[in-house]
Amino acid sequence: MISDWRFIAFFVVLAPLFPALPIGINLLLGPRKPNYIKQQIYECGVETVGDTWVQFKVQYYIYALIFVIFDIEAVFLFPIAAAYGQVGLFAVIEIALFIIILTAALAYAWGRGVLEWV
Amino acid sequence: MEFQVPTINILLIAPAAIVAGWGVLLMLIELFISDEAQEQWRQIVPGLALVGLALAFIQTVGLWGYDGGTFILADGHPMIVVDNFATFLNIIFLLTGALTIFISVDFLRRTGLERPEFYMLMLFSISGMMLMGMANDLILVFLALELLSIPLYIMSGLAWPRTDSEESAMKYFLLGAFSSGFLVYGIALTYGATGTTQLPGVMAGIANGGSLALAGAALLLVGFAFKVAAVPFHMWTPDVYQGAPTAVTAFMSVGAKVGGFAAMLRILIIALPGLGDVWAPALAVLSALTLIVGNVVALVQPNIKRMLAYSSIAHAGYILIAVASAPASPDGVSAALFYMFAYLFSNMGAFAVVIAIERKTNEGVMLDDYKGLAKRHLGLALAMAFFMLSLTGVPPTGGFSGKFFVFKAAIEANLIWLTIVGVITSAISGYYYLRVVYTMFMQDGDGEVAAPEALKWTVGFAVLVTAVLGFIPGPWFDIARQAALQGMQMVAGG
Amino acid sequence: MIEQIIFIVISLFTLMMGWIVVSNNNLFHAALALMASFLGVAGLYVMLDAGFLAMAQLLVYIGAISILIIFAIMLTRRMMQTEESPFNSQPGLAGITAVSVFAVIAFIFWQMREFWPLGAGEGAMPPADKSIILGSVAKLGEYFVSPDAFVLPFEVASVMLLAALIGSIWVAWPKTEDES
Repeated sequence: MISDWRFIAFFVVLAPLFPALPIGINLLLGPRKPNYIKQQIYECGVETVGDTWVQFKVQYYIYALIFVIFDIEAVFLFPIAAAYGQVGLFAVIEIALFIIILTAALAYAWGRGVLEWV
Repeated sequence: MEFQVPTINILLIAPAAIVAGWGVLLMLIELFISDEAQEQWRQIVPGLALVGLALAFIQTVGLWGYDGGTFILADGHPMIVVDNFATFLNIIFLLTGALTIFISVDFLRRTGLERPEFYMLMLFSISGMMLMGMANDLILVFLALELLSIPLYIMSGLAWPRTDSEESAMKYFLLGAFSSGFLVYGIALTYGATGTTQLPGVMAGIANGGSLALAGAALLLVGFAFKVAAVPFHMWTPDVYQGAPTAVTAFMSVGAKVGGFAAMLRILIIALPGLGDVWAPALAVLSALTLIVGNVVALVQPNIKRMLAYSSIAHAGYILIAVASAPASPDGVSAALFYMFAYLFSNMGAFAVVIAIERKTNEGVMLDDYKGLAKRHLGLALAMAFFMLSLTGVPPTGGFSGKFFVFKAAIEANLIWLTIVGVITSAISGYYYLRVVYTMFMQDGDGEVAAPEALKWTVGFAVLVTAVLGFIPGPWFDIARQAALQGMQMVAGG
Repeated sequence: MIEQIIFIVISLFTLMMGWIVVSNNNLFHAALALMASFLGVAGLYVMLDAGFLAMAQLLVYIGAISILIIFAIMLTRRMMQTEESPFNSQPGLAGITAVSVFAVIAFIFWQMREFWPLGAGEGAMPPADKSIILGSVAKLGEYFVSPDAFVLPFEVASVMLLAALIGSIWVAWPKTEDES
């Protein structure tokens, strides 16, 4: 069965090579003449202010939480999509119920003002 | 696309579906409530939640006597079973919910915790409990347990940012997740041993399961022992019960415990009767430990909520006696059911009085705050004394009848030593229960008592039922017996 | 044979990343190693022909849970450079517990060896047919919506997710002015 996944395996091997190769070639071939200015941390062209590790706002966390919930919803719906040809109208009602209940969750988040940008 | 009429009897799932759907509905309505109308909305949400519970109650009572299931799988076994066992437990859950609403409305307003989400989460949790009693498939048991637990984790953190409430939620969540892990592992091993998650299928396959099935059953037991707070899996209980807002404590001390026992009983009796000579002695030992630790540690608790937490551990021990005697005694299951029914009213009543004495969140919950309650509010003091007597097991109360039937079942099952442990620990429990009575009647103290009408009626109702169960237990036990018999018959029928 | 070798390599990778998670002082690096470890687990699922689980592992664990963990680390002040040792003070006791739990599990599975799928015992199941494995995701989808299969757990799961979402927002979202 492993042969069905050989393309994935191929990509798993190939993908790290893509960034690694240019960086490696640069390291090998590029001339290096370091000085103070060049070794500064580069962030959008201006010098960084304060620590680069900043504390996030709690809003991001709630976005992530909502994302987890809807990610799980997607995982549940994925196999149904694969079987969509075989399932009948009843299945559509079931899926609709599932999505409506979770849309209620989204509506709740919206109503509480969680989705507003701050 | 052709439309196949699905073979689902929607009436059977209706009680749980109504409760869950009502929660979703309330949530959707809330989105359309304008800011000005928020205050009125908060006033009516408890009433609306009660309406939902009442609708489900009517539906549930109508199913009494029904024996069947729906969501029939390809192999002929239903996904959920509606028999008297499930209906009896559903009635307990719905009553727990209704009593909680009655005692919490004024309490939440007084302590500034009133949020409509409280009632919605409670409805979700109740629907999870109801599915626990009806589930005939381990996967559904697990989902129902999570549906029961997740709202409870959140509700116990209701009073955040109070540290004790946060601590309660955190501990409950971590230990709850831990116990879910045990349960899932148990389900996985059981599936590995029998090739199915269907309870009747598990029963058929368990004999060939070998040590894998034993390990699975053991992990399932550990998972449920966590949920019902049996020693040595009780560590979370005192802190969680003490820190959570008292209304939530009342709800989970009955609801979560009975929910755990509901699934435990059905799994043990329907799926694992073949291992009965293994789990019954294990449960007997667990039960003895629970009785001893729960009752002895409760002796030294100055905080009434913590005392009731240890008392709830002890009562899990008494119910476990009945469960342990179920394989050998025909009345084991019915004794457990009757005990839970009596415990519901005694415990809810006691918590109602605690709520009346509690001034702010977790203030006024020490034993000293009960000094002179008899002079301040005689009715509440008398009711509290009655509940304490019932929890001790003094006749003529529901608690006594419950213990009587439990011990009778244990003797029939030849668990004499366990009966002796039960009787001795009941005597020990008298010390800390009656100390509350002594404090209320013999010592002087002052302080306000918040006893609104709804709470008084709840206390009165609980006293009435506890007294009825104490004076004429026979007919009620017959009902519990009908509820259990069908569970046992299903074992025979396979 | 080649499958066995790949399986062992992936297992070693997973374990190594797991070791980095528990031994690294820097929480952020530990979270990244956790993602790599999840990836290894997904690989193991692939090797065991559980394609759907592998996909769920990728989407939910690597895609969402890891992000959640990283956000949680970013939310916490001064978590990045902790000086404390990540090891607890009772390594002996923890080691004994871990080894004994492993011994019990290993013992149980050794006792069940006649049921091992590719074992030589009487109860051994033959390897599953390739067509069954290829169709398993669609079959699962069919089961999710069939009234004679898992439609009820499917809907209960949605209510459970709803309750979890309400709860997480309720707990994590700052209270509005009139409630504080």
